[in-house]
Amino acid sequence: MKYKSQAVAKPYFIAAIGLFLGQISFGLIMGLQYVVGDFLFPAIPFNVARMVHTNLLIVWLLFGFMGAAYYLIPEESERELHSPKLALAMFWIFLVAGAATILGYLLVPYATLAELTGNNLLATMGREFLEQPLPTKVGIVIVALAMLYNLSMTVLKGRKTAINLVMLLGLWGLAIFFLFSFYNPANLVKDKFYWWWVVHLWVEGVWELIMGSMLAFVLVKVTGVDREVIEKWLYVIIAMALISGLIGMGHHYFWIGAPEYWQWWGSVFSALEPIPFFMMTVFAFNMVSRRRREHPNKAAVLWALGTGVMAFLGAGVWGFLHTLAPVNFYTHGSQITAAHGHMAFYGAYAMVVLTMISYTMPLMRGREANSPAAQLAEMWGFWLMTISMVLITLFLTAAGILQVWLQRMGASPMSFMAAQDQISLFYWMREITGLFFFLGLLLYIGSFFIKGKPATAKDPATARGLASATA
Amino acid sequence: MWFFILAELLVFGVFFLAYAFARMRNVELFNASQLELDRLSGAINTVLLISSSYFVVRAVDHIRHGRSRACAHWLLAAMTLGGAFLVVKMAEFIAKTEAGISMSTNTFYMFYLGLGFFHFMHVVLGMVILGAVTLKAWKGGYSATDHVGVETGAAYWHMVDLVWIILFPLIYVLH
Amino acid sequence: MSSAFTKSAARNIFYGGAVFFFLLLVALTFDTMNTLPKRDNRANLTESAARGKHIWETRNCVGCHSLLGEGAYFAPELGNVYVRRGPEFIKTWLKIQPTGAPGRRQMPQFNLTEQQLDDLVSFFKYTSGINTAKWPPNIEG
Repeated sequence: MKYKSQAVAKPYFIAAIGLFLGQISFGLIMGLQYVVGDFLFPAIPFNVARMVHTNLLIVWLLFGFMGAAYYLIPEESERELHSPKLALAMFWIFLVAGAATILGYLLVPYATLAELTGNNLLATMGREFLEQPLPTKVGIVIVALAMLYNLSMTVLKGRKTAINLVMLLGLWGLAIFFLFSFYNPANLVKDKFYWWWVVHLWVEGVWELIMGSMLAFVLVKVTGVDREVIEKWLYVIIAMALISGLIGMGHHYFWIGAPEYWQWWGSVFSALEPIPFFMMTVFAFNMVSRRRREHPNKAAVLWALGTGVMAFLGAGVWGFLHTLAPVNFYTHGSQITAAHGHMAFYGAYAMVVLTMISYTMPLMRGREANSPAAQLAEMWGFWLMTISMVLITLFLTAAGILQVWLQRMGASPMSFMAAQDQISLFYWMREITGLFFFLGLLLYIGSFFIKGKPATAKDPATARGLASATA
Repeated sequence: MWFFILAELLVFGVFFLAYAFARMRNVELFNASQLELDRLSGAINTVLLISSSYFVVRAVDHIRHGRSRACAHWLLAAMTLGGAFLVVKMAEFIAKTEAGISMSTNTFYMFYLGLGFFHFMHVVLGMVILGAVTLKAWKGGYSATDHVGVETGAAYWHMVDLVWIILFPLIYVLH
Repeated sequence: MSSAFTKSAARNIFYGGAVFFFLLLVALTFDTMNTLPKRDNRANLTESAARGKHIWETRNCVGCHSLLGEGAYFAPELGNVYVRRGPEFIKTWLKIQPTGAPGRRQMPQFNLTEQQLDDLVSFFKYTSGINTAKWPPNIEG
């Protein structure tokens, strides 16, 4: 850690991991409700559990992005953060607002919550992922603007690199496109059309800039490869991400009432969307194999490689599987979408935040890397979570294929619930794998508490883990 | 840069394949709608773009011999033809819009207008690139030994031209 | 990538490409907005249907169901429920929840008034008339 103010990232990362734990817990509740329908009903109905699950995901990723930005931007700009106090104040505001929102979901009926929080003044609630009450949405905007002010001032006065400019651009885009969440016309087609300007332009647009920037930052640090090379890659990757992703949004416009030409535009461009993710994988492996130094933090390198691979599989391959309009006609709104969503979010965004945490946390705790024992536990956490996620995705894909077959194809299609009963085996398998994911997460969290002498570059135990990953 | 040009060609290539596929499924509609197109203006545009590509070749030749001003002149000429292309194409689009035709009219028009507009935007982008190159050439920013910028701009312009040379017979003529 | 391909070239492609495709997106959006009146069934978007959408949102229906294929996949698609079940079934269904059948998925009781139920039905009637390019593949959604 080169600048004192970078330490402000620490509470952000701790909160992120805490909320991640909450997200997975609610995921387990939902997973069980899929097979034991009345589990926890009426205390936590499925819709509430899901809202908590998805909102916690978004919030912890935002905490991760913000923490990453507060760490990365001072270092890249080669100066202290404009105002560490503002950053810390925003942390507490965001944490309290986030916690209050989740408690609101859990303790108050949603309709009452809507009434209490002024949803009748400006109705924005009750749309997938944008369920937050109005004050929370406004809070998100305020926190984002304060952060952008803080970071922009830092970059303006300091060194400008591709990494900090792309990060800043991504965060600005995140804030700007979030404004579409305040637009909610009665016309459902328009509502859905612009809803995607938040959701798609986030996850398949500006978030990719943030992800690319974080990955590039960590790779510069752990591989020692020339910055020029890494930044060139970064630009090419994010160029491809936006070139394919902006019009690729058309793959959401096939069946919601938008003109039918979107089937062509969306299919063609979203078919290209795997390219930037593939490049990201090649990029990560290429840089690590060309490394000029052996960084003692092997766990961070493993996360960096892992996020490349898993983002490509989850977002790239699983996205492509059902993105072409003739295929999507059958798979739209089935468990296939859920399968893709799980691996894409974990691979691209959860893992890149964990990469950043893995690299920076030891530095913020006063050492270059954790002890070999701690790293070993972290790597076990990595493998447990990652393999579990692959299995969860496979089981959901199997469930989805069966669902499509039973409910949407053939001469005498089954009703929704009849089809669900037929595929419950896969839901059970998904739930059991989910428990292993949870174990992996506990192990990961436990690794922060393992003490010992910091690792050096030559520690055999951790070096072997990496060698097998790059082989 | 070549990587990028290849990526562009890939996108157009996928669209051309999609066109062929869609046409196969509905040959009559495509043939009938095709007859409504203004082939003359399409042909004029083909001549314009091919000539402009030739001018760009001349420009590159001049800069290879270090003649900045001549290079800039040829580039300007190429851009003028590019501009003429845009005017003719615009007139075509306006005529179609006035006839009440849009991308939602039928699949053929979706391709004709969609691909046409997509290519149109590429011509605009190509002109922006040539414009930047021209300005730099005019100021003497290139030399006989260092003119990567001119060659890159030229390559992009040829790509735009190449796409049109495929697009024109495919959509306007081929029955 | 050859050495002639510099970082600034990559940067230019990024900024140029982003602007280019964003403009294309805006152009397509503009055309979409012009085409929507023919497809989005706005004739049936009555006051009642608009109120129904508000009910749909404030009860977080999308947390279990999907609407035109978007939402959760825990409970049936409702974009076409008006056609599949008809207005009376929908209203009765909402009144008798939860079923309480052991081990089965449960839907909460929302205690909607008759007026609110009618509004919700108007909303479903409106959504069922949106031109969704023949999606879903069959009535089961």
